[in-house]
Amino acid sequence: MKKKVTKRISIKNTSVTNYLLAMVLVLIIASILILIQGSNPIEAFRQIIVGSMGSRAAIARSIRWITPVIIASMAAVVAHRSGIINLGIDGQVYVGAFFSALAGAYISLPSVVHIPVAILIGGISGALFAFIPSLLKGILKINEMVVTLMFNYVAILMTEYLTMQIMNLDADIRPEMIATPEILETAKLTQIMPPYQATTGIFIAIVVFVVLFLFYKFTKRGYEWKMIGQNFSFSKYGGIKTLKNYIIIFMTSGFIAGLAGAVEILGPHLRFRSNFSSNIGWDGIMVALIAKDNPKTTFVVAIIWGLIKAGSLAMERTTSVNRILVTLVQALFVLFITVDLRELLVKAKNFISKKTRKEDEVHA
Amino acid sequence: MDTLLQFKNIYKYYGDFAANIDINFEVKKGTIHSIIGENGAGKSTLMNVLSGVLTQSSGDIVLNGKSLNMKDPNDATKNGIGMVQQEFMLFDNLTVIENIVLGHEDTKTKYWLDLKRSEKRILEICKKYHFNFPLYKKVSSLPIALQQQVEIVKVLFKQAEIIILDEPTAVLTPQQIDGLFEAMNYLIEQGKTILFITHKLNEVLKVSDYITVLRDGKVVDTIENESVSKEQLAQMMVGREVFLNIDRNEKAVSESILEIKDLTVLDEKHIARVKNMSFSLNKGEILGIVGVAGNGQNELIESITGLSKYSEGEILFKNEPLVKANPRNNRLKKIGYVPQNRIITGSALNTSLVDNIVMGKHLTDFTSKRGIMDFSKMNSYAQEVITKFSVKAQSIQDKASSLSGGNLQKLIVGREFSQDNEVLIIEDPTRGIDIGSIEFIWNEIKKIVEEDNVSVLLVSYDLYEAMSLSDRIIVVYDGRFVKEFKRNEFEEKRIGYYMLGGNDHEKESH
Repeated sequence: MKKKVTKRISIKNTSVTNYLLAMVLVLIIASILILIQGSNPIEAFRQIIVGSMGSRAAIARSIRWITPVIIASMAAVVAHRSGIINLGIDGQVYVGAFFSALAGAYISLPSVVHIPVAILIGGISGALFAFIPSLLKGILKINEMVVTLMFNYVAILMTEYLTMQIMNLDADIRPEMIATPEILETAKLTQIMPPYQATTGIFIAIVVFVVLFLFYKFTKRGYEWKMIGQNFSFSKYGGIKTLKNYIIIFMTSGFIAGLAGAVEILGPHLRFRSNFSSNIGWDGIMVALIAKDNPKTTFVVAIIWGLIKAGSLAMERTTSVNRILVTLVQALFVLFITVDLRELLVKAKNFISKKTRKEDEVHA
Repeated sequence: MDTLLQFKNIYKYYGDFAANIDINFEVKKGTIHSIIGENGAGKSTLMNVLSGVLTQSSGDIVLNGKSLNMKDPNDATKNGIGMVQQEFMLFDNLTVIENIVLGHEDTKTKYWLDLKRSEKRILEICKKYHFNFPLYKKVSSLPIALQQQVEIVKVLFKQAEIIILDEPTAVLTPQQIDGLFEAMNYLIEQGKTILFITHKLNEVLKVSDYITVLRDGKVVDTIENESVSKEQLAQMMVGREVFLNIDRNEKAVSESILEIKDLTVLDEKHIARVKNMSFSLNKGEILGIVGVAGNGQNELIESITGLSKYSEGEILFKNEPLVKANPRNNRLKKIGYVPQNRIITGSALNTSLVDNIVMGKHLTDFTSKRGIMDFSKMNSYAQEVITKFSVKAQSIQDKASSLSGGNLQKLIVGREFSQDNEVLIIEDPTRGIDIGSIEFIWNEIKKIVEEDNVSVLLVSYDLYEAMSLSDRIIVVYDGRFVKEFKRNEFEEKRIGYYMLGGNDHEKESH
């Protein structure tokens, strides 16, 4: 009886220790890199904190970045939890953003309807874009990882091409000029801390999280989606319609990714520009990876991720440290999290103690 | 006879858990020494220590009076200890001789392979111990029994004096088992020593000189074979009395509930695995399907359970065609399935016991119209199943991976037996689980058939199990229905004859 209890605590500790160890390692490596660049690491870290939480502007900037990261990471969670490796979230974000930008610019409706319509159009186009790889995987068993990865290029280039067609642009135009018209006033999300870019999009992000959390916790379909990810054969044997669910899951992931794109356009960007996304899709995938696809943890990690993203932008302005370093550090963090550091530590300990024991034996 | 090997105060800990506690016994040269115990009794750990795979936490292994200090399996080989694993360690795509010499190749001038010399040595070994198999064929083309011989010769080629056989009879038919025992006797006549790991008591009594019984990581006793009965051994292993004899009350029924008609199943390479098979399962009976593993049983089961497609024929349930490749339809029609593979098909290890128990039943129960699940109902149902099928677990929220093999199997059996199924397809229900759980599961199968009139299709690779439980037995060989036996005709040797591909000519010409 007693044994079991201690075991459970130690399992929980494992993940916490793992996070802490990874954090320490990352900080050490980051410090070294910053030192090499000739800056002061402590100052750099301070700037990240100040830049993300130190002022009203900083907080608004953080909210602005937290919003898309939460939504994109939820898209990743939905897919990964059911064992689908959707690396195409970035592409689905692009497609969603593009069509939602068109809906925002070309449809005229009262604001109460216009915003939901534009957002839904973004989501639906993301879902439809994910439908293709889901069919390829579900029916023809073509690896979804490769397909979705390649589809990112399709999405980015296709939306750029379509933008040029719509705007009648020539091929020799400067890339930053490739953009759709600005969306109408009625489609713009309200800024919650004007004049800064934080918008009501954050509430959409929170709603997405809450809905998913409740869905997985309480519904039958949530149970089935979880079990499909845990063991596909077992789910099939248990009578779950695996193929149908598989396609729906894939499309739901695409739908949420599309939402992320729509919220980006209707919030900060106001028009679709090629290369607008600044890696939102990949942020989402990495956050979900760190949080091991648990919706609650993902929500927390997404907030931290957004803070770091906002802070690093500020740091770049105030210190000589390059923002790319932050991206590198984030990637390292993901890497360390996926390794079971505690296990490694225990092994190292055993190895050392074995060695000393042997030496003792030799001396004896 | 001299003492060859001694285990002295061996302890092995995994973290806080003690897998071996104060193991003390000795093995005499030129004997067959059986080591028996339930799953988790510490047999495998002890043998892994002896073969150098694991290192003991404390204690000594003494060989010929000298304490061994082994760091890896190579040290064990150098000391003349060789192990034949339960799962063969052979490369299917290499030839027999390549498999045997692997890692211990004879060479000419150090760098050039000298297969001729190896071949000569191997042939000598084969002659001396009466083994006989082709050396230049691919291993995959050999039947299981020969592959096992290859494994044994592989160990002898490395000049092993002590040979550990880990559950060697699990994959063999009765005739093949006799062959193995003969080979074991030749080996000890030539002065080799055999450690025989098993949980089949009949075999232990038949072949061994000495028997060491392990329970909960400790040695219960080491005894000479003459002085003990099967019942005593079972009691020593389990710690209480065990009854593995099932009395079946046969009922005369002839109403068919599940009918297989001219079934043919092709695999991915379009090779027929099940060939034109027809039989029917009657209401309220246990129909055993026996055969050497790999003779089409898996494909047959997958077709019936809907896990994969079949190419020709028909499966009728209550005289209506059963929808192809649709496990969900089977569930809704109340056809349950206890799969052979507990981990890949039978459960999801990383989820809670509740999640595992409600699977299947959740299609029709526990859910409101809006798709919200009723957790308190699920939990109390799971608790009920766990209690009824005596699954040993701390809490229903524990992960399935925390259960031992026997308990996980009880959970799976419990899940399928609690869903008011009319037909149960049960595949290899007691593989690798302890004797206490076997007894329990056998009795549950008997109960559900005799009390609830459920019909059971039992595919078993353990002939004794099939004979104990079944009303009728069908033998399959090479994907074909070969022979049917009624309960009063059951006879181990005769069934074994058909399992190996024998046939009676009257039927054949007919």
